[in-house]
Amino acid sequence: MTKKIYGYNGIILDVDLSSGKIEKKAINPYDLMNFVGGRGLGIKLLWDRLKDKPGTDPLGPDNPLMFMAGPFSGFPAPSSSRTCVVTKSPHTSPVKSRYAHASTLSFSNMGGFFGPELRFAGYDGLVITGKAAAPVYLYIDDDKVEIRNAKKFWGTGTDQFDKDFIEELGDPRFRTCYIGPAGENLVEYACIINTAARAAGRGGTGCVMGSKNLKAVAVRGTRQPEVGNHKLFLEALEEARQKFKDPGIYSNWRTAGTAAGLEPFSGSGIMAVRNFREGTFTQVDKIGVKASMKNWVRSFACYCCPLACKKSGKTTDSPFAGLVHDGPEYETGTMLGPNLMISDLKGILKAIYIADDYGLDIISLGNVIGFLMEAREKKLIDKKFLDGVDLKWGHVDATLEMIHRIAARKGVGDLASKGVKALAEEIGQDSHKFAMHVKGHELAAHNVHANPPRAMCYATANRGACHLNGTSIEQQNQIALADSIGVCLFAMGGYGLYGHDSVLIGKLMRGITGTASKDNLLQAGERIYNLEKLFNYREGFTRDDDVIPDRFFEEPLTIGDKKGAVLTRDQFKTMMDEFYTKRGWDLKTSKPGAAKLKSLNLPV
Amino acid sequence: MRKKTVLVTGASSGTGKETAKTLIGEGYTVPLKSEENMSNKGCSQQSRPGLTRRKFIQNIALGGGALLLSSRWGLFSMAHAGEGETEYSMILVDYNKCTGCRTCETVCSAYNHPKKVNGKLLNGAGNPFLSNIKVYAFNPDVDVPAVCAMCPDNPCIEACPVDPDPATGRRALYRYSKTLAITNDPSRCIGCGSCAKACRVGVIIPHPETAKPERMCTLCNGEPQCVKYCPFGALSQVKVDTNQQFYAMKPEKIAEKLIAEWYGVSD
Repeated sequence: MTKKIYGYNGIILDVDLSSGKIEKKAINPYDLMNFVGGRGLGIKLLWDRLKDKPGTDPLGPDNPLMFMAGPFSGFPAPSSSRTCVVTKSPHTSPVKSRYAHASTLSFSNMGGFFGPELRFAGYDGLVITGKAAAPVYLYIDDDKVEIRNAKKFWGTGTDQFDKDFIEELGDPRFRTCYIGPAGENLVEYACIINTAARAAGRGGTGCVMGSKNLKAVAVRGTRQPEVGNHKLFLEALEEARQKFKDPGIYSNWRTAGTAAGLEPFSGSGIMAVRNFREGTFTQVDKIGVKASMKNWVRSFACYCCPLACKKSGKTTDSPFAGLVHDGPEYETGTMLGPNLMISDLKGILKAIYIADDYGLDIISLGNVIGFLMEAREKKLIDKKFLDGVDLKWGHVDATLEMIHRIAARKGVGDLASKGVKALAEEIGQDSHKFAMHVKGHELAAHNVHANPPRAMCYATANRGACHLNGTSIEQQNQIALADSIGVCLFAMGGYGLYGHDSVLIGKLMRGITGTASKDNLLQAGERIYNLEKLFNYREGFTRDDDVIPDRFFEEPLTIGDKKGAVLTRDQFKTMMDEFYTKRGWDLKTSKPGAAKLKSLNLPV
Repeated sequence: MRKKTVLVTGASSGTGKETAKTLIGEGYTVPLKSEENMSNKGCSQQSRPGLTRRKFIQNIALGGGALLLSSRWGLFSMAHAGEGETEYSMILVDYNKCTGCRTCETVCSAYNHPKKVNGKLLNGAGNPFLSNIKVYAFNPDVDVPAVCAMCPDNPCIEACPVDPDPATGRRALYRYSKTLAITNDPSRCIGCGSCAKACRVGVIIPHPETAKPERMCTLCNGEPQCVKYCPFGALSQVKVDTNQQFYAMKPEKIAEKLIAEWYGVSD
């Protein structure tokens, strides 16, 4: 009687760590059609699970932590490696709400090999609720699923754990993800790491994982879902592979990864410099691609990705000689470099390594340290407040020391582990003006003064400030779709999805699922974005929360080509009015309108 | 001139031993298998006859020179005997170019595990579990695709305890005539696992239920898909050269060396 679903396993693995109950639950086919998978299916499940529980404590047992794969995951379409971790955020909060634990949803997208492997094991997603009595890890080997003791691993950094865990599992073909000490200690912006340096970085997913006493998940599988239209699938796959043979699609990624952005973004005044005070870093040549390349050993790729943007390297001199490291990427290199006025590349690499090892989101971390440096410079806090750590612009050693304290939540590190919003509330004295966050979630390394659409991108992002939210409504819907399919945003050049045409994506989807049309897909992106907004609205987030820090309106850039650039409040208001109107959301409250929700088949 | 090597299955006992002795007397090198391998559980009941002296001499007469016993047992050997040493080809990995994307696994699987659609055989969807080339990832970052090394001395075939078929001369494991790729005849294979144990790289994996060997590289019938589709040009089909730096080494061993070389650490 039930119609066979192609392109999916149709199964969610549901694990309750409190009771130890492990279930395989069928996914409602309607949800797959309407919410695609990955990020989309994640928000749908979150919505359903917390239906009667608005204001759920994100660190309580009811909050589901979900690892979601998309319909492309596990098929060899180029760059289809992504896994979306979806949960309720431990790191966001509204201006006001009736719920003490009000927060947005959180989703964090990671590359690597985990999502495809989850699909090989027979699942489209993994949902973890409850809290284990003692540290555990989850072992998934096709149908064999076990909750295992992880006591001996608790406290281990991600780099060492990555090695130890594979040894414990006895087969390097297991795909794993895990938290470091930061997640164990419930640092609000702890991340989940896989392959020692790939991260579901943003939104505090590692903190939620730590709250469940879950150190790691390991998965290994032997199967693959059946495709719906095999012939079309093969045709589309061949077309995609041919397309990705164009060096224009991959060469920049292979050469430099995201680090390619370091010099040009500084040049065009849109880099995060000195806690977002400036957009240009005058010493960028010291930390840019040319300098970084000298340390790089090789490029690495995620599952079936022809881009290979991950750079691994080693430092040969400086006090950090012998360090085997990842990156810098644009974000990590900027947030722990120019944003802190650090031009010592080796120092940046050391900081990146330590942060990865603790399992910290480097974007939020760079914000926190930058905020503290600025507060100290402005004499709003003193060295005593910082427990003697001599945190000043450009100081590598003090930065490293602060990272240690944050991960351990020691002294000032405890307050700093809650992010810049909490720090500004504690310090007061108008420090909120340079606490760079939206809804509590810190800004990424893309500055706003000289790039007004970025203001809308940050202000409206459903997980709090997010540079991957998209700078137009069309882009936002497209990205929501890509995150749900399981395709990497960096592959948009090849797929032509990202505000342009998405014929190839549609063709692959039709091949894999046997149904799906292009129009359906674009609408699915919009539906997903709207359900996320609906979730946030129910928690108490309104237009009052869709704001950006005062800095962008009050302090024009003083250096670089974009010197003088600043946003006006009118400009921002106009942009936002247009956004809500086009979205079909209420101008005053930002509540999604009934007509829009109805057209998307969402609850009104 | 290269040494002439002859492999004699069962050379450590019985008639095989006699044959081996004779051959050594005639100046051939005859590698002997360890006793441990010979007494594998499940294999011990199978007869392991060596060649009879007469049979061997017949073949010498036919081939007239340097020969490898394994190739003599395949039909192929007849055609190639007399041309000197058999040339095998294999997939060579350039570890400097490999990024660990595993595209090779998916195209290998797709080609070697086709799917019947409306009566037509099409490529499969590329489940990497079924691939004959397997990428192993290490920390610090090193990715090592492991694939059949096509060892000219055939440790896997040599380990096969199944009697040669009188008509074809093949054991259960043999060299497929067209590509010389190691192939298993499941109808004759007894699933003893000796070949997997003998495999130097560790690519041969016994099926979890039948225990029959799988994952030997087929060279895709002459057009290796992994070579064709590797986005990074890290794979090529080359003549087997046992002197090549990482030849027939286990992935862990290769990783160890590369990690030391690239990152200057031993872990």
